[in-house]
Amino acid sequence: MSSLPPEILDHVIDYLHNETATLKACCVVSKSWVPRARKHLFAHVELDACDFLFETWKKTFPDPSSSPAHHTRSLLILTPPTITAADTSAGGWVRTFRSVTHLQLIHLDRASLVLLHGLSPAVRSLNLTIVPFEVFDLICSFPLLEDLRLISLDPENDAEVWNPPLTSPKLTGHLDVRTSGVFPSVARRLLDLPGGLHFSKITAFFFPGDTGSVTDLVSECSDTLESLTARVYPSSAFPFASVTGQYLTTACGHRCTRGGLP
Amino acid sequence: MAIDVPEVVFLDLTKAIKLKRVVFLRENTGHATRHTVEWVTKTLQTVESKHLQSITVSPSNKDLPETIKQEAYQEWQDLDRLLVQFWTSHSIRPRVMYVAGRRGGKDLRADAPKLLPELTRRGLVDLVETRH
Repeated sequence: MSSLPPEILDHVIDYLHNETATLKACCVVSKSWVPRARKHLFAHVELDACDFLFETWKKTFPDPSSSPAHHTRSLLILTPPTITAADTSAGGWVRTFRSVTHLQLIHLDRASLVLLHGLSPAVRSLNLTIVPFEVFDLICSFPLLEDLRLISLDPENDAEVWNPPLTSPKLTGHLDVRTSGVFPSVARRLLDLPGGLHFSKITAFFFPGDTGSVTDLVSECSDTLESLTARVYPSSAFPFASVTGQYLTTACGHRCTRGGLP
Repeated sequence: MAIDVPEVVFLDLTKAIKLKRVVFLRENTGHATRHTVEWVTKTLQTVESKHLQSITVSPSNKDLPETIKQEAYQEWQDLDRLLVQFWTSHSIRPRVMYVAGRRGGKDLRADAPKLLPELTRRGLVDLVETRH
């Protein structure tokens, strides 16, 4: 086995990218196999402060510079406020996830916006659920962003004057907006982005009164839009609770409460 | 005394000149669905894209023919006629999406011909089952 070129071994391990148990077994076979196996084992990471995954990560990889976070391409952070506080005490480990391309944040607060600003320059897909309305600066901090999903924005401060940054991402992929009550404000912020909107696909869940805002988004993307999914709800029946609601079941299946996860 | 009936504000897709696919999902929450079929019809009438390839509509559980109100039934007939026009002018076969496993799901599959009679008579409806 040792006579095999490392590129061949890497190729073999790459074939196992979906076999978590096998990849873990590879790690105990040879130290030389560990880096390649880690590349796949840590490609998707979910950090949830409530079930101690976050604490486990910190204990397992106390030195952020040697952690496998740079392998992570898809990162889900549940309740970022808790992780924000821990990051301060742990020496900025969140920033080690610098190669993430798919970022999903659930239950974000304003302090987290600063911590996660420009987390990874490679982010192409951003999925935000239960977030404050000031999230648009965070969105603009990912220069390669293509896909944007917004579910349940906090209507507080939606009327405040916003000075958009000088540049905004490409936004050429899929826009998915499911917000109750603030759809026009969300649309206005998106339309204010200096780089314009170039989405090829739009999914919009909205109230009948928000139809004009959807039309504005469609018109802004007129040169690029190829696919539109529209779902209109009577104002009393929006399926995605506002952040002031008791709970919300997110698209990824996690049931969140305002005070934390059950 | 005159009763104010709010005018349906439809989506204007006039400027979406490269549009290929449109999907209209109807709420399935059990709340009133008044005007939403008309909303779909009016919105589709604004499409000017020459690239349109696919139209998908989704009846809700409220659209079962035995429970549907006359006004809503008429809206389905209007949509049926418009979809036939899309077939004759653009060769677009509409897809009708229904939720599997929910109450009424199977009935809806069986009753789709009653909501879209002309399309069904011409064999132009593709029924698509979804779980969401």
